[in-house]
Amino acid sequence: MENERDLTERRLSRHDLLKLAAAAGGAGLVAGRAGAGRAALARFTAESGTLQVLDWAGYEVKQLWQPYLKKYPGQAPKFTFMTNEANALAKLQAGLRPDVVRPYVGYIQDFAQSGFFQPWTPALISNFKHLNRGMVKAGQFGGKQWGIPADWGFDAILYRTDKVKPKARSWGLLFDERYKGKIAWFDDLNALVVAGYYLGFKKPYDQSDAELKRSQDFLKSKKHLVRMFWASETDLDNAFASGELWIAYAWPNDWVLMKGKGLKVEYMYPKEGPISWIGMFMLGKNTPRPQHAHAFVDAWSSVQSAKWLEDNYGYGEANTLARPTSSDLLKVLKLTNPRAVQEPNAHIDRHIPRRSLYARMWEEVKAS
Amino acid sequence: MGRGEGQLKRPRLDLATPGLLGLPLAWLAAFFIVPIAIVGAYSVDALSIVPGKHPLTLDGWRDLLHGSVYLGLFWKSMKMSLVVSGVVVVLAYPLAYFLAFSGTKRKYVLLLILIAPFLTSYLLRVLAWKVILGSQGVVNTFLVWIGLRSPDDPISALLYSRFAVMLVLAYIWLPFVALPIFVSLESLDTRLLEAASDLGATRWQAFLRITLPLSLPGIVAAFLFIFIPTVGEFVTPSLVGGTSGYMYGNQISDLFGTGFPDWRTGSVLALFLLAVVVPLTVVFARVSRTERVAH
Repeated sequence: MENERDLTERRLSRHDLLKLAAAAGGAGLVAGRAGAGRAALARFTAESGTLQVLDWAGYEVKQLWQPYLKKYPGQAPKFTFMTNEANALAKLQAGLRPDVVRPYVGYIQDFAQSGFFQPWTPALISNFKHLNRGMVKAGQFGGKQWGIPADWGFDAILYRTDKVKPKARSWGLLFDERYKGKIAWFDDLNALVVAGYYLGFKKPYDQSDAELKRSQDFLKSKKHLVRMFWASETDLDNAFASGELWIAYAWPNDWVLMKGKGLKVEYMYPKEGPISWIGMFMLGKNTPRPQHAHAFVDAWSSVQSAKWLEDNYGYGEANTLARPTSSDLLKVLKLTNPRAVQEPNAHIDRHIPRRSLYARMWEEVKAS
Repeated sequence: MGRGEGQLKRPRLDLATPGLLGLPLAWLAAFFIVPIAIVGAYSVDALSIVPGKHPLTLDGWRDLLHGSVYLGLFWKSMKMSLVVSGVVVVLAYPLAYFLAFSGTKRKYVLLLILIAPFLTSYLLRVLAWKVILGSQGVVNTFLVWIGLRSPDDPISALLYSRFAVMLVLAYIWLPFVALPIFVSLESLDTRLLEAASDLGATRWQAFLRITLPLSLPGIVAAFLFIFIPTVGEFVTPSLVGGTSGYMYGNQISDLFGTGFPDWRTGSVLALFLLAVVVPLTVVFARVSRTERVAH
C-alpha cells in the first residue's frame, strides 16, 4: 500500500521541475523530438491526489481559483486553515505537508529558511507577467522566487471625519490624547515597527536594543488611550460601526465597509508611510503535485479571480490588470499607481531579524 | 474457628480495585499528568517549537519571577477574580437561602429557571452583553431616552473595560455559585433553628450563630468554585474586555496562539497559574470534606 502511494504521489524536486520545463521547451524547439517532449511532459505531469492548500479561512471560495477547476475539472483542492504564520509553521513541524501555503510577505525569509519550501518556477505561471513587479521582487529571497504575490493591502489609519480632527497626517493619530478610549490598535508586533517609524528610527524593522526599549516604553505610555487591540476584522468593523471607535489601525477594505454603512470616514496614509502587506503563495518542498500547485497559483493570479477578490473582499490583488468595480476601492488602493505599495510611497512589510524579541516586547506592552 | 471464617481468610486475587481505578488513572495520566509534563518541558526549553537544539534554561521562570509585567497582570487578574467571586457569593447567598427555606413546593422549578441560561451557548450569552453595554446598546439608549446622557456622550466604560469583564463573569457564574450554597443550606438540620428560637434567639441571631456558620463550607466551596476558573479566564475578556480588561489567561492564550508565539513563556505562565490553583483545589477538597463531617 505504501509502495503504491509512493508511486502515485511521487515527489518532484525543483530539479525535476526544471527538467520538465527543459523537456517541454526542447520539444517545442526540436520538432522531430515532439513525441519525446510530450512523453517527458506526460511522465513529469503524472500527478495524482488532491492539491493540499494551507490557507487563511475565507480564501477557499472557488471564485478565487475558478480557472484551476477549468484546467482540472472535478479536482477541487483540499483546504486546511492557518490562523497565523506561526500556526502554519507549527502545523508543518507537526507533519502537515501542504503543496501550497500562503504566509504574508514579512515571513518569506523565515519560511524559505524553514526547510519546508522550494522556489517557484515562474515560467509555469502564465499570469506571472501581469503581477506587480515590486510585489514580485518582495517575494524573492536569495535570488529565487519563493513567494508569488496575491492579495495585498495597506496598514494605515481609519478615522471618523465627523468626530476626529487630526493635527497632522501621521501615525501620531493613533497616540492622540484627545481621543482616549476611542482608538484601536492592531494586535500585532508590527505596533513596534509603527512606533519606530513614528519616532523616526532609521530601521524600524531592525531596531537596536535602545530603540526597541524606546518604542516599547512609548507604546506602554500610550496604551491607556486604546479601547481595544483588534485581532479579527469582524471585531474591528463591529466596534467601529457601532461608534465604540473613532480611530483605528485598519486596512483599506475597512474604510470601504464603513463608508458603505454611511459613516463619515477617511483612510489616512501617514506621512511616515503606510505599511503594505502582501499575501505570498509558497510551494511545498518536494511536492508531489507541482503542476497543480502552479496551476492553482496561476488561477489566483488571473484577472477574473483578482477582480472577484477586489469586488468581494476589498483587498488588492497583485495582477495589475485587475480593476475593482468600486471607484472608492480603486482610489484607496491607489491602483493606478503600481509603485504605491513600495518605497518611498509605502513600506512593504519585511523580515524582522529579531522577531521573537519584538513579539515578546509586544506581549509585554499588552500585559503592562 | 468456624467454617465460614476459614473461607474468609483464604487469599484471593482482588481485581475489583485496580479494575475500577485503572481506567480513570490511565485517563488522568494521559490527559492531565503527561500534558503538564510536556508544558513543563516547554517551560525550560527541553521542548521547543523553534527548530534546532536548545540548552535547558530557567530564563522563562527567572523573567516571570523577577519581572513585574506578568506578575502585575497576574495580580490584576487575581483582584478581578476575587471581586467577582466575593460579589457573586454575596448575591447568590440570599437566592440560595430563599430557595432552601422559603418552603415553596416549586423550589426545584425555581432552581431550574435559575440554571435555564445554561441551555444556551456560553458565547451567545457573553455576546448578548455587547448589545446591552455598547455605546448604542440598551443601557446607553435608555439613559439617552430619559435625558441623563446625550447621544454624543454615551457611557463608554460599560463595554471593553474591566467593569464589563467582571459584570459578565458575575452573570455567567451566579447560578453555579448558588447551587453549592443551596445544597449546604438545604441539608442544614432545621431542628437547630427551632431550638434557637425556643431559647429566645431572634431570627437574625439564629442566622448569625447557626445558619451562617453551618453554611460556611458551602460558601467557601462556592467562592473557590468561581475563583479558580475565572482567574485563568480568557474568553470573556477577549470579547468584552478591551485593553483594560485583558487578563492573565489572555496572555497565556496569546503567547501560545497569536502573532509569533512564545511557548516557553506561555508554559511558564500556565504552570505558575497551576501552582496557585492546585493549593486552592486542595483547600476546596478539605472544605468539602468538612462539609460532609458537619452534616
